[in-house]
This record gives sequence, structure tokens and C-alpha cells, in this order.
Amino acid sequence: MATAFEFAPAIALFPLAAFVIALVFGDYMPKKGAFAGIFATAGSLLLSLWVLATVAGGEPYNEQLYQWAIGDQIGFHFGILLDPLSALMLVIVSLIALLVHIFSLGYMNAEGETGLRRYYAELGLFTFSMLAFVFADNLLMAFMFFELVGLCSYLLIGFWFRTESAPSAAKKAFLVTRFGDYFFLVGVVAIAATFGTLSFAGTESFPTAAEAAIDNGETLFGFDAETWVTITGLLVLGGVIGKSAQFPLHTWLPDAMEGPTTVSALIHAATMVAAGVYLVARMFGFYAQSPTALSIIAFVGGFTALFAATMGVVKDDIKQVLAYSTISQYGYMMLGLGVGGYVAGVFHLMNHAFFKALLFLGAGAVIILMHHEQDMWKMGGLKDKAPVAYYTFLSGALALAGIVPFSGFWSKDEVLFDALIVGLEQPLFLAAYAMGLIGVFFTGFYTFRMVFLTFHGEPRTDAARDPHPIGWSVKVPLIVLGVLALVAGVVNLAPIGKLTGAEITFLEFWLDGEYGAIEGLTYHAYHEAVPFAEGYIGTETVTMLVGAGLSLGLALAGAGLAYSLYNVPEPVPHTEKLGSVRTLLRSNYYQDEYQVWLAEGLTLPLARAADRFDQGVIDGVVNGVSSVSLFGSGWIKRIQTGVVTNYAALLVLGFIALLVVLGLHGGWFA
Amino acid sequence: MMIETLIAVALVGALVTFVAPNKVAGKLAFAISLIPAALSLWMFTAFDGSGNALLDGQLAFESRMEWIQLGEYSISWFVGLDGISLPLVVLTTVLITLAIVSSWTPIDDRQSQFYGLLLFIEANLIGVFAALDFFLWFVFWEAVLIPMYLLIGVWGGPRRKYAAIKFFVYTNVASLVMFVAFISLVFGLGDSVTSFALPEIASAMLEGGPGSFAGIAGSTLAAAVFVAMFLGFAVKVPVVPFHTWLPDAHVEAPTPASVLLAGVLLKMGTYALLRFNFTMFPDQVEAFAIPIAALAVVSVIYGAMLALAQTDLKRIVAYSSVSSMGYVILGLVAYTQFGVGGATFQMVSHGLISGLMFMAVGVIYNATHTRMVTDMSGMADRMPIAVGVLIAGAFGYMGLPLMSGFAAEYFIFFGAFGSEMLEYAPAFTALAMFGIVIVAGYLLFAMQRTLFGPYRLETDYDVGRAPLHDVAPMFVLLALIIALGVAPELIFDMIKDAVDPILALGGGA
Repeated sequence: MATAFEFAPAIALFPLAAFVIALVFGDYMPKKGAFAGIFATAGSLLLSLWVLATVAGGEPYNEQLYQWAIGDQIGFHFGILLDPLSALMLVIVSLIALLVHIFSLGYMNAEGETGLRRYYAELGLFTFSMLAFVFADNLLMAFMFFELVGLCSYLLIGFWFRTESAPSAAKKAFLVTRFGDYFFLVGVVAIAATFGTLSFAGTESFPTAAEAAIDNGETLFGFDAETWVTITGLLVLGGVIGKSAQFPLHTWLPDAMEGPTTVSALIHAATMVAAGVYLVARMFGFYAQSPTALSIIAFVGGFTALFAATMGVVKDDIKQVLAYSTISQYGYMMLGLGVGGYVAGVFHLMNHAFFKALLFLGAGAVIILMHHEQDMWKMGGLKDKAPVAYYTFLSGALALAGIVPFSGFWSKDEVLFDALIVGLEQPLFLAAYAMGLIGVFFTGFYTFRMVFLTFHGEPRTDAARDPHPIGWSVKVPLIVLGVLALVAGVVNLAPIGKLTGAEITFLEFWLDGEYGAIEGLTYHAYHEAVPFAEGYIGTETVTMLVGAGLSLGLALAGAGLAYSLYNVPEPVPHTEKLGSVRTLLRSNYYQDEYQVWLAEGLTLPLARAADRFDQGVIDGVVNGVSSVSLFGSGWIKRIQTGVVTNYAALLVLGFIALLVVLGLHGGWFA
Repeated sequence: MMIETLIAVALVGALVTFVAPNKVAGKLAFAISLIPAALSLWMFTAFDGSGNALLDGQLAFESRMEWIQLGEYSISWFVGLDGISLPLVVLTTVLITLAIVSSWTPIDDRQSQFYGLLLFIEANLIGVFAALDFFLWFVFWEAVLIPMYLLIGVWGGPRRKYAAIKFFVYTNVASLVMFVAFISLVFGLGDSVTSFALPEIASAMLEGGPGSFAGIAGSTLAAAVFVAMFLGFAVKVPVVPFHTWLPDAHVEAPTPASVLLAGVLLKMGTYALLRFNFTMFPDQVEAFAIPIAALAVVSVIYGAMLALAQTDLKRIVAYSSVSSMGYVILGLVAYTQFGVGGATFQMVSHGLISGLMFMAVGVIYNATHTRMVTDMSGMADRMPIAVGVLIAGAFGYMGLPLMSGFAAEYFIFFGAFGSEMLEYAPAFTALAMFGIVIVAGYLLFAMQRTLFGPYRLETDYDVGRAPLHDVAPMFVLLALIIALGVAPELIFDMIKDAVDPILALGGGA
């Protein structure tokens, strides 16, 4: 009987087929190729669910499928790794991709966009790249599809290429992430050269090899093994920081809002940005060998979580608020993974995929309602006119802010709990924890500032008074995601489990391989490898309650402040009272400025200087030498008639003469 | 006799085209060029060689005839292919056919001569890659210069004379240096060689090297010859600082000449480096590894920085060739299977990708009559298909995975990083790899300015879609680029087979 695994390649190949079909025939198809994408992603979703069920039945899968390049010492291949982590992610990605395709019918087709053939083709390619990245069984294949994900986001962010801003944003997204990928590729090459394998799983995998090298006290490339693992791990992390928009490579992401909102939903929830954090989870066994690398992940995450949240506070554009919230939320995932909270990080990755896709699609619905207005100050009062959009958006907002019992609460709480218990024994991590915790307050504030400004109060413009209707293709995805944002937390109700003793942390069991997993790729294996001790305030339960109480209290405080300031009929921009702080925040801490300066103020002048040097000095010497030695001589000058045909004739004659001489000499004509 | 047939078809074709009427010359040359292209593709499938042509390998399509006895040395017509040269021959025949098609639009003057020269250059290029006798090889090597000189000098842009003469004199002086060096080496080898056959010279080199000649000790002679030959070939590649002829030649050359110049002529340099320096002189490679690697890194980074400063699309692609060929040098000096194999792969890959880029720039130029980045914007609006292929080619240039450029660069990087021959290999590799960021920088900036944004171009005519025969060759190249990116083993298999014996010399693998 055919098994799910035999069909697993089709999970990625369906959307690839949709890409080809939409690209070639899109103009002649109903809805310009949308249905090709819908059927393909629906097929991917069904197959992913089948794979999920098979993995749950205790059968993981790890096979090489295709030899890409074969060397004597090492081969590079494509293969598929289906274990609890990748099976879960495949479902998430294909589900979000399907919903985004359906939503696009209402957002792109119904709005009379041109270039839809290109849009659906690129969407298909995007989904293909991400799905292939997710089930990659080795680091090189992961890198390859990681880069293709970058290409697709370049194409889609720049979808409206006739504007000035979209192509610029697309370029920035690719360039900044390429900068990160440079380090990633050096890391791939270094790991391959060191351990002779790039596989994620099995006895011949690079995390296993790294562990053995550390245990044996080997020296690798002149470093002791653990240092070398740290170095290579951090190199790969460069790619993660770029794609997952962590500080300091986050600057591309707010600009990427230039793309269609549907694309933003896909990029932020399930593809491009998720790819980075997913990679850390995928090769967690490697990072677990290096406490230094883990600490850096945790601190980058904690800092980014707080840093981005503060910027979200002062934004006027609804998509900009969501953009900064994405950066911040991925910071939480990094924080969770960095302190060894593998389950917490993956849990938040999943929940965030649902509620962030929901919020972006909700923002898309708002943009339709508002006749393509994105400034929240021109909205207001949409609550009663578009209840479906409102209640689903509210569900996403509650999840984002981390209000119990919405999904985001459970996962964010778990991340912070893991950071806290590690911090109690290694006080350094308390700083990362504190940043994450303070970030919760800002998250609550900016989230509800957005909700109140958009949906509550009185309509502030004609557009808000007379919103454009939204259709079923917009509502259905919102409702599906709205429900998921509310209930997805039930898969891992760790606090309730701890209080009642009930065995209900299903995601933890899942990732721990209780239903089947590949040896070494389980939560337990990771947990043992992570070298951090854990401590408690009193008992584990007390610690948990204190942590949960703190984060929920701060989230509610932030939301409450937003309520008091903005849930009024005619809100005013209170953030103006922040004075120079507001200027700093609205300028995004001048991160863009220095990066643009690095590109345009430093590199470009350097390039121009190099060009002048090249023209003046290097080429000058060449021309100088030739004019002195060759063209300076009067004898040469005489044949230098300047008529090119004469040169040609001379050359051809010379060539023929050479042939004749050689021929005669060799007796050919004799 | 397959190789002779290829060369003869191209030569006879060149003569026929030369006397054909201008009106039919383009189509005629295209039809003729299909014969070597088809034959070489058949040869590719029928390839039965193994090992390295210079190191007792089993040659495919070999033929050898005594030609001239020059004193103690015999010169022969000696041709044959191995896994290194065959892919380059196929690259040549395919690119020639496509270059002919891409000439139909821009070339409207003296067509019969133009297409005749293209076929003439084809014959000589095949000869360069197939010849295994030094004299024969050198005749083809020099003969390539003449048609290229004329293509630039007659059909080129406003400064064509300067560019053509610079190209000709510079590369010719370099050839002279190389020639003198090699002849001294042969004399230094003394009685151990009796012919100019490259395999014989290679084995003489490997079995003891040159004795003293003209009062110079053998080892000094070997080192001096190595350096002189390296410099001679470095001009052709070109390696910084011998590169300044290249942008001038490209800017003035008509599109098809640029396609061939970047696509095949530069590979003559790296091919010769591999055949001579890196096969016959393993000890010298080791001795000079660090300076060569340094030149490679400088070529990559400095070439890319120069590309960043340009505003002429053709100059951008020209300088980026300098950068890409730097990777080839790095791969060669790594002296590992993936390093040297990847360098050879990059020769083919860069031939396809740079050919595609020059064609795409040419198609835009045909429509706009400008190549300046500052003169236009939003071309995607008017020429969606041509621009689409240009974008694909640009990403190929940036080393996008599943395209041949990534495979080539990854092989080189991996091969170089773990090199045992080269000290500080990881540092050199990591530095050179930064080129992948700069290349993205200059290509994305150029694309943003010219292809995207609101449409702007001051013309007194309407810019419309490019004709099919302008874009069709680009699609062929794109298909090949993707095929080699998805399945690099298509050629990497035979490349490895020919490269391995070289590495066995240095004891590496």
C-alpha cells in the first residue's frame, strides 16, 4: 500500500506545478491562475495532514532522494526529513498558504489588479520554496530553498513594480537578507568541510559529529571543538537573523510592507520570516552543543522583542504596527530557543503563524473596507460596520497581546517561563528575560492602540463612514484563523497541566517523540544537551504562577493604557507627548540611516574611488607603456594608418603566411 | 575525425557565408552553425573518454598525424577531448548559434562578413579546446584574436578602434610572453621531449622537470616559466590588475561579440591555466599558492566594487566577469576535487550566464539605444518578457540556488575552504565569498533603476516588445542554466573524472 511518505515530495511539487501553470496559462484561466494555486496548496495541506498522521503513528521518515553533486569524500543530496517538527510545520505552511490564496480572490482579483498571472505564479513558487525548505533533510538543501524563499519575497514585495517604493523595498529585503545569507553560506561550507556531512538527522549527521568532536576534545581548524561549533553555529545564525528580521538585520521588514497585504501575511506568518526561526529549531541539536551560541540567540531574541515592540507604539500605518510586532514576536521565539525552550519556541512559532496571518489578512480586510487607506487615524468605528472583520481581528489581537485564554498567551508565557527558570540559575539570562517581559507591556499597548484606532470610536473619514463591502473569500480565511487564534493554545496548556497534574501538554509529547520521532531529534535529547541549569522561586508551580501573573498583568496594563487613551470617540495622538523619544521611535532608532550610510555613504564612494584608481592608475600604466613602447615608435606609426580594414588585411595575411610557412615546412604541399 | 569535421564545417561555413549576399547571411550562418552544435551535442552523449587528456587519460575523438619536423621536435595535428574540454566545446558551439541569432536585430551592415567571422572564430575556439599539440594549440589561440579584433573594430561603438587595438595588443603581448616561456621550458626539458605534444611535455615535467637552460638552474627555470605563463594567461582571464582591456572591449563590442568574449574567450585563459600551469607545475602551484589566492580574492572583490561604480549596463556585466573569473582562480589554486572541478564548472556556467546577460542588455539596447542606467526606468512595463529573462539571468549571476552559478560557486567555496595545499584557505574563501553580497548589490541597484519604477525613456518612437528571435536565445540559455543548476552532475561527472588525475599529482584529493 502506498504510504504518505511516497507522496511527500508532492507536498512541495504541487505548488511548483501551480507556479508553472499560472505562469504559462494564467492569462487564459479563470481568476488568472488562482485556482491552480488553491488546488495545489489544498493538495499540499491534505498530504501534509496525512504525513502528520503517519508520523503520529510512530513512523518518521529520513531519506535521501536525489544526488545533486557527488564527490569522493562527500556528496551533496536532496532528501526529505519528516519528523514531528517538519510535519507540524508543513501543515502550518500549507494551511496558511491555502488561506492566503483564497483571500487573494477577494483582495487581488476583486480589486481589479493587473499582473495577477505573475502574482499567482510567484505565490506558487514561494509556497514551493518554503515547503521544500521545511522538509529538507540537510543544511545545504535548506540553504538553497532558504535563498529561493528570499527570491520569491523579492519578487512579491516588488509586485507593484511601477511605483518607486516597492522595487526599492524589494531590493532592500533581498540585499539585507543576502548579507545574512553570506554568513550562512560560509557556515554551510565550514560545517561541510569540518564534519563531512550536512545531514540534520541520523548517525551521520553534523550535530552528532559535533557532539563526538567535542567529547573527544578534537581540534578543528585550529580551534577546540566547542569554539568551532560556536563559530560555525553563529555563522549559520547570520542567515537566521537576516530572514527572521532580528536586530540588527530587521530593517528590511517594515519596508517590505510595500508588497500586497496578502503577501505580507504569507511572509510574516509562514514563509520568509518563519524560515529563520524554523532553521534554529531544525538544527537545535547543533546549537545545544554551544552555550555561547545559545546565549547569543537568547539575547538577540530578548533584545529584539523589546526593541521592536517600542517602535510599534508610535506607528500610524496599520501594516507598520503589524510589521514591528512580527519582528518583536520572532524575538520571543529566539529567546525561547536560546534558553533551551525548544517546545516553547516551536509552540510560539505555530501560534504566531495563525494569529499573525489572521492579523495581516484582517488588516487586508480593513484596507478593502477603507478603500485602500492604511493610516489608522483615518479609520475608526469599523466595529459595527464589519463585525466579522472586527471579531476575528480582535481574536488575533488578544492572542498577540498574550491575553488568557487566547493562544498567544500560552506560548508566550511558556517562552518567558523557560527564560525565567534558566535566569534564576544563570543570572545573566535574567536580563534577556526582563527585556522579554517589558516587551509584553508594549505589545499589549500597541496592539490595542491599533484595535481601538481602527475599529472603535467614531469614523474619522468618509471612507470609514462608508466602507467597501467584503466578500466570502475574505471572511472564510478570517474565521478559520480567528478560531485557531483562540483555541490553538490547547495543544500545550502547560500551566494547567502543572496545576492539575493532567497530562495535556500534547505538543511537548509530540516534539518529544512520544508518538514517534527520529532518535536524537527529540525534546528530551535537546534538553539533556543544553548546558543550562534551571532554578525556581520556591516550587515550580509558584514560579510558573509568578511568571504568568507578571506577564499577564503587564499585557493587561498595556492594553488598559491603550483603552484609556484611545477607546474614546475622538482619539488624539497621545504619543506626541513623548517628545524627542517619539522622534527617536518614529525614526526607528536611526537603524535605517546607518545602514543606508554603510551602503551609500561608504561602499559606493569606495567603489567610485576604486573606479578612479582603476581608470587613472592601472589603466594609465597600461596606456603609458603601450604609447612609449609600441605606438611611440615611428616605424609602427607608419603602418598605423587608422583604417581598421588595413589592420584586418595585415592580420589575415600574416595568419595565412604562417599557415603557408608551416605547411611548406611540413611538406604538406610537396 | 569528429573534431576535424566540427572545425571544417565552421571554416567552410565561414567562407560560404563570407561570399553570400548580406540579406541571407544571418539565416545561412545560423543554419550552418546548427551542424557543429548538433554534432557536439551528439559527441557529448557519445563521450567515451576517461581521465585527463594530458595525464595518460583515454581521449575521446582523438586523432593524431605527424605534421612538421622542426629540428629535433615534431609538430603534429593532435586533437582529442576529455571531461574538461568537451563541455567547453559544447559551450562554444551552442553560444555561437545563439550569438548568431542574437545578431539578427542589431547587425545591419556587412552582414556576410560579420557572420563569416563568427563562424571563423568558432572553428578556432574549438581548436583551442581540442588541440593537444602546443604549436597547433598556439595557432588556434592566436587565430581567435583576429576575428574578435575585427568584430570589435568594424562593428563596434564609437571608440571601437581604441578598444580593438588595446584588446589585440594587450592579449597578444601576453601570448608572446607565454610563448617564449613555454618554448624555453621545452628547451630546458632537453632530450626528454621529442615533440610539442602536450601529454609528452606534461609527463616530462612531472618526471623531473627541466634541466638547466641558458645558465639558469632547472628549478628556477620552472618557477620563472610558471610565473611568465601565469601572467600571460592572467591577461586573458583577466586577473586584476591585467583586466583593463576587458571593459573597453565589451563596451565597444557589438552584442554578439560581447557574448562570445565573456562567454568563451575568457575561458581560454582559465582553460590554459588549468592545462598548463595547474597540470604541469604542481610544485610551483604549491609554492605560489598564497599570491595566486590573493590575486583571486582581489579580482573577486575589486572587480565587484568596480562593477558597483558603473552606470553603463555593459560595463557592469563586464566588471562582474572579472569578479566571477576570480572565483575560477580561487578554485584552481585550492587544488581539491570540488575546487578545480568547480572552477571548470564555473567556466561553463559563467559562459552561459554572462552570455545571457549580455544578450539581455543587448535586447534592451536594441529598443532604447542606450545602456546608461540613468537614461531609463520602468523597462519592465514595455518589455516584460525580455526583462523577465534578464531578471532570471541576474539572479543566476548572483548565484541563486537551482541555477548553475550557485552550483559552481558552492563547489568552489567548499573546495577552497578545506584546501590543504593553500594556507589560510578558510580566510581566503570567506573573503572571496563576500563577492556574493556585492554582486547582489550592483545588480539589484541596476535593476531597480532601469527595469522598475515608472516608465521613463526619452525617445521619438514607441518602445515595444522585443521580437521572438531576440528573446528565444535567452530562453535556451536560461533552460541550460537551470538544467545545470538542478543537475550539475550532467557535466560535473566528466569534469571530476578529468580533474582527479591532476589532484593525484599533488597528493591531494
